[in-house]
Amino acid sequence: MLNRLKSWDRLGLRLFLLMWGALAFSHLVAWLMLSQVLRGNLGPMKPPVGAAPSMRTDGPCRPPAGPPRGFGPGGFHGEGAEDFGDLGPPQHRGPQMAPPAARQAPMPTFPSLPPNLPWNASLVDYGVRLLIIAMAAWWGSRWLAAPVRRLVSAAQQLTPALAQGRPAPSLDEEHGTREVQEAAVVFNRMAAELSGQFEERGLMIAAISHDLRTPLTRMRLRLETGEVEAKVRDRCVDDLREMNRLVESVIEVFRPADMAQPQRVDLSALAQSAVDDLAETGLAVSFDGPPAVVRADPVAMRRVVDNLVGNALRYAGHARVSVQLTAGVTRLVVDDDGPGIPEAELARVHQPFRRVESSRNRETGGTGLGLYIAQQLVRRQGAALALSNRPEGGLRAEVVF
Amino acid sequence: MNGHCLVVDDDAEIRTSLKTYLEGFGWRISTAADGGGLRQAMLSAKPDVIVLDLMLPGEDGLALLRWLSTQPDSPPVLMLTARGDTMSRVVGLELGADDYLAKPFEPRELVARLQALLRRSNKGGPLQDDTRTLRFGRWRFDRLARQLVSPDDVGVALSSAEFRLLAAFVQRPGRVLTRDQLIELTRAPGVEVNDRSIDLAVSRLRAKLGDTAREPSVIRTVRGEGYLFDAEVSAC
Repeated sequence: MLNRLKSWDRLGLRLFLLMWGALAFSHLVAWLMLSQVLRGNLGPMKPPVGAAPSMRTDGPCRPPAGPPRGFGPGGFHGEGAEDFGDLGPPQHRGPQMAPPAARQAPMPTFPSLPPNLPWNASLVDYGVRLLIIAMAAWWGSRWLAAPVRRLVSAAQQLTPALAQGRPAPSLDEEHGTREVQEAAVVFNRMAAELSGQFEERGLMIAAISHDLRTPLTRMRLRLETGEVEAKVRDRCVDDLREMNRLVESVIEVFRPADMAQPQRVDLSALAQSAVDDLAETGLAVSFDGPPAVVRADPVAMRRVVDNLVGNALRYAGHARVSVQLTAGVTRLVVDDDGPGIPEAELARVHQPFRRVESSRNRETGGTGLGLYIAQQLVRRQGAALALSNRPEGGLRAEVVF
Repeated sequence: MNGHCLVVDDDAEIRTSLKTYLEGFGWRISTAADGGGLRQAMLSAKPDVIVLDLMLPGEDGLALLRWLSTQPDSPPVLMLTARGDTMSRVVGLELGADDYLAKPFEPRELVARLQALLRRSNKGGPLQDDTRTLRFGRWRFDRLARQLVSPDDVGVALSSAEFRLLAAFVQRPGRVLTRDQLIELTRAPGVEVNDRSIDLAVSRLRAKLGDTAREPSVIRTVRGEGYLFDAEVSAC
């Protein structure tokens, strides 16, 4: 029985009932109030002069100033209407406006109202109807928009949730109209499938990469122990290193994100250490900036700094790292004076395995995953990575917290 | 002639090539494929050092580490982990592994690490003071994450030079260390450590510790001699 009722619970029906109910209700309330107003006006209206001030809408709550004059609780429809016909404010009842039918057609009868109301009574009438219909429409529109809003916000959360390895958001499948429930079911299924596929793909690639380590280790050892010509061995070792870098990067990309535990870290100390470590090996990197505390996973942030600086070193031969504090926003900036990236390519370098063709080829090293990993890691910290070409030339990579 | 090393790895070819390779450096090698093999080898001839793969079928490396730490007089362990597998590395070091290498490793690096382990164990005494976090003043020094934790819980990362210097300092608190001693103590493969780099690392460390060169309270300059780490160090 309940289910049969539920199957009728469609958006259209609800909307129909709402509008219909609101209209009927507004008529009823307007009529009730008006009748109160008119009844309240009866007394003071007897002497037409000075009636106006007491004709305001506070009528219903206020006992009639004058004697009810036959306005008994039950006698409203009959006598009252007749009385009204007699006693309406004369200033609004020009002779031409006083139809002879006023007496024969007693009023007010629900829901119609007499055509010749006093101006303030019309005001109450229209005001009440407008107010009630407006409120119903406002409430109805909010009510209608709510499931759509929920759907939009769930859809917005889906991408970051998938990127960060969090469970996908789910919608309430039990409440709302049939359309809303159906949309929730479809969305939830889609989100579950997506996150399942994401996870599966990640696990598979991580497993393959992981299993590649054993043969890589074997080959590396074989190169040392077997009878291999030194020149061949060196080249093979280089290849193995490159394969290993790739494997590591891939694992980095698909590593479950929940390993990262954000803590409060001094971003400047972190960047300074990364720069000092590189400078210690003779690379041209510098750092400058005030202490700045951010919430981040230090291991991931270190990787981000290393990747961005590594990128600058690879294409420009040097890097300038700085931390900037402006208006509550903390930025980690990596600048270089290299060739930069053509504007058309800028948006795409975040993509995995993307290298800018002319300047960024395999010869200059890199797997094409560096910026992608940096971006993924930065996102997981709730920050953003922005790349831009500096007006002076060179590339600027910014991590904005 | 080097010592006796036990290699525990489930991959047969890695075992044999490691054996061949390490024997070339004068090591005596025995091998085991799994936990059972390890226990047996420990009964027959105790090795001087163990190379233990963490990913083993059946009883995994971490369980074996735990078992080894209950054994009297257990040899130092170098564990082979997967790179990026920070979790098991941290757990492994906390369970008493003395060093780690990520697969695939440079064979040379393995030889160097094994020799260092052997040297340290021959010297006697604690191989590695295995408390992860030390406390001095209101600061904490996390030796695994290589960072300082400030009094108000902010992680302050250390560069390798700063880390090596601080690690040397906290083991010798209250003692004047000359620059030459510090150079010796903070030597690392692939980098040149000299007076200037020591002074630079000291000033960086002071900055991170909120110390000034004028009125240093933790790392004091002893004129004409060197530096002194003036703080009580305790495990935490």
